[in-house]
Amino acid sequence: MIRELTALTKRELLRVARNPQAIATSLLLPILYLVLFGQAFNLNNIGSLSPVPIPNQVFLELYRGAPSYFSYFSAGMTGFVAVTATLFIGANVIFDRLFGTLKRTAESPAGPTAIFGARLLAGIVQPIGLAFLVLGLSLLLGYIGLNGLHITASVGVIGAAEIVGAIVILSMMFASLFIAIGFSLEQPQTYFAVVNAINLPVLLTSAALYPWGILPDWLKNVASYNPITLAVNVLREVLFAGASSYYPYGAGVYLLGLFGWAVAMFICATLLARRALSPH
Amino acid sequence: MAEAIHVEGLSKIFNGTVRAVDDISFFVTQGEAFGFLGPNGAGKTTTVSLLTAQLAPTAGRAVVDGIDVFRDPAEIKRRIGLVFQESTADSDLTGRENLELAAALFGVPRGEVRQRVDSLLERMQIGDAADRLARTYSGGMRRRLELGVGIIHSPRVLFLDEPTLGLDPQGRAGFWRYVQELRKEHGMTVFVTTHYLDEVDLICDRLAIIDHGKIVATGTSSELKDRLGGDVVTIRTERSDPAMEEALRAVPGVLSVSSQDGAYRIKAPRGEQLIPALVTACGQAGVALTSVSLKRPSLDEVFLEFTGHEYREDGMTPTDRAVRVSQVSQAFGRTRR
Repeated sequence: MIRELTALTKRELLRVARNPQAIATSLLLPILYLVLFGQAFNLNNIGSLSPVPIPNQVFLELYRGAPSYFSYFSAGMTGFVAVTATLFIGANVIFDRLFGTLKRTAESPAGPTAIFGARLLAGIVQPIGLAFLVLGLSLLLGYIGLNGLHITASVGVIGAAEIVGAIVILSMMFASLFIAIGFSLEQPQTYFAVVNAINLPVLLTSAALYPWGILPDWLKNVASYNPITLAVNVLREVLFAGASSYYPYGAGVYLLGLFGWAVAMFICATLLARRALSPH
Repeated sequence: MAEAIHVEGLSKIFNGTVRAVDDISFFVTQGEAFGFLGPNGAGKTTTVSLLTAQLAPTAGRAVVDGIDVFRDPAEIKRRIGLVFQESTADSDLTGRENLELAAALFGVPRGEVRQRVDSLLERMQIGDAADRLARTYSGGMRRRLELGVGIIHSPRVLFLDEPTLGLDPQGRAGFWRYVQELRKEHGMTVFVTTHYLDEVDLICDRLAIIDHGKIVATGTSSELKDRLGGDVVTIRTERSDPAMEEALRAVPGVLSVSSQDGAYRIKAPRGEQLIPALVTACGQAGVALTSVSLKRPSLDEVFLEFTGHEYREDGMTPTDRAVRVSQVSQAFGRTRR
C-alpha cells in the first residue's frame, strides 16, 4: 500500500510541477485580492469621514481584536485560498476518467485507499503553499508602505503549529470533499456546477471576509459552525494580541471542530471513492 | 492442457434491461491465443471487463489462472495484464515514468524495476523517446507503451481489448509481432478482442464469435470455415455441356456443383487437393478449360453464416481491407488460409 501510495503521489506531484501555467494562474487570485481588494476596502478609513474620532475599540470589536481590516482580512484570505485552490482537484479525477488514466490505475492492484490517498496528499500541496504565500505577501505589503498584516501577538511554536494545523486540516477537508465529488460525477460541466453550488455558499457563510462585528446575529450563528470560520478563528486568535477575549473558545477548540469536519468529510470521500473504484 | 480461462454461464445486464453479455461459456487453454470477435456493441469489452474484475457479473462464474475472478478480484489484478482499447498512459509523464509507475503499482520487485523498464523500452522501440512526455508520442508509440505497461509484471494471462484500434497497417503488424514474441518467450496466454477479422485469422489459435452478447460459434479459424462447406473451385469452359456437370459431380469429395454461362462452381472441403481430379474429369468429358480458380471462405463469410448479417463495422472498403491483409501477412510471413 505504501509503495503504491508513494508512486501515485509522485505521479500527481509531477503533473502539478509540469503545469506551470496552472500554478501561475492560481497565484493571480490571492495577489489580486491582497493588492487591490485588500488595499481599497480599508474600513479604518471611515474614521477620516467621521466628524468625531471613532474609538479604536470600535475597530477592535469589528475585527475581533485584529488591528486593521487588512490584518483581519489577510487571515481570512489564507483560509479562502486554501479552499479555492482545492476546487480543481476533483475535476482532475473526472478528466483522468475521461482520458483513461484512472481506468489504468483502477485496474492495477493498488486499492481505492491508495488511489484516493495519493490524490489527497498531492492535492493539498498547492493549497497549503498558496495559503502560506498569502500570509507572507500580506506581511510584505506592510513593509512596503501599503496596508499589510500586522502580527500583534507573540506567536511561538505552539501558535505556529496551530496555524499550520488549521491550514492543513482545512485543505484536506475540502480536498476530500472535491475528490469525492470528482469520483461521483462523470462530466466536468456537472462537477463545476456542483462545486460552485457548494463553494460560494460555504465561502459566503463564513467569517473569512466579513468584519464580524457587523454581521447579523443569524449569520454569526451560521458562520460559527462553518469550517472556514473555524480555521480563520485559529489564525486570528494566534496572530492578534488580545483577540482571545473576542472569541468564546480557544484556538484548540476551533482546531478540534475543524478536525471533526475533516474526519467526517474524509470518511464520506473514502467511501465514495471505494464505491466508484469497485467492480459494479 | 490446463485451462487459463474458464467461463461458465456468464451474464451482465446493465440497468436491468441491457443484456450486454448473455449466458456465455468458453475456455482458453494455457499458452493459447484466443480471439473474441464481434462488431461494436457485441459484448466484447464487457466480457473483458468482467474477466479482469472491473465489472461484477449479473450471473455466472469465471476462473482466470486458477483464481475465481469474482471472489478474489485483487489477486486477479496481480496476475493478469490488460491493454485497453483507449490510451491509458499518463500524458504528463514520460514513457519511462509511465512504466516505472506501472511497475510500482503491479508490485514488480524494486531491484528489478530499472532492468525491466529499460528492457521494455528497447523492445517496444521507444528507448529513444523514453524521457519524452507520452503526449508527444505517435499513435503507434503510445500503443507500444500501453503494451509495455500491460506486461511490465510478466502476467500469465494478457487481455488485449481491441489493442490496434486506430493504428495504421504497419503499426498494427508491429504490435502483433511484439505480442507473438512475448507468447513464444513466456508462454503467455493471450485473450484478444477485435473486430479486425484478418488479425484473428493470423494471430489466434482459436476464436469465438460474439453477437448481441451471445457466443454464436467457437473453434479454430479453419474449423469455422470448414463448417461453411469448404472451398469453391470455379472452372470456366469454352461451352456449356450438361455431361460436364455430371462428370464433376462424380468426382469423390465434391459436395455440390452449379453452373452458369459456362462457369461451374464446385464446393468441396479441400478444394486445392481436388483440382487435378476435376481437371481430369473435364478432359474425360471432352470439354476444353479456359480457367480454374480456387476461393477459400473468409472469416467475413463465417461471420455472415453464424450471425446472419455481414461484418462491415470497421468501415473499410474491400480495397483497404485487401491492402491491410497483404501488409499484415507480410509482417508475419504467413499465408492466409
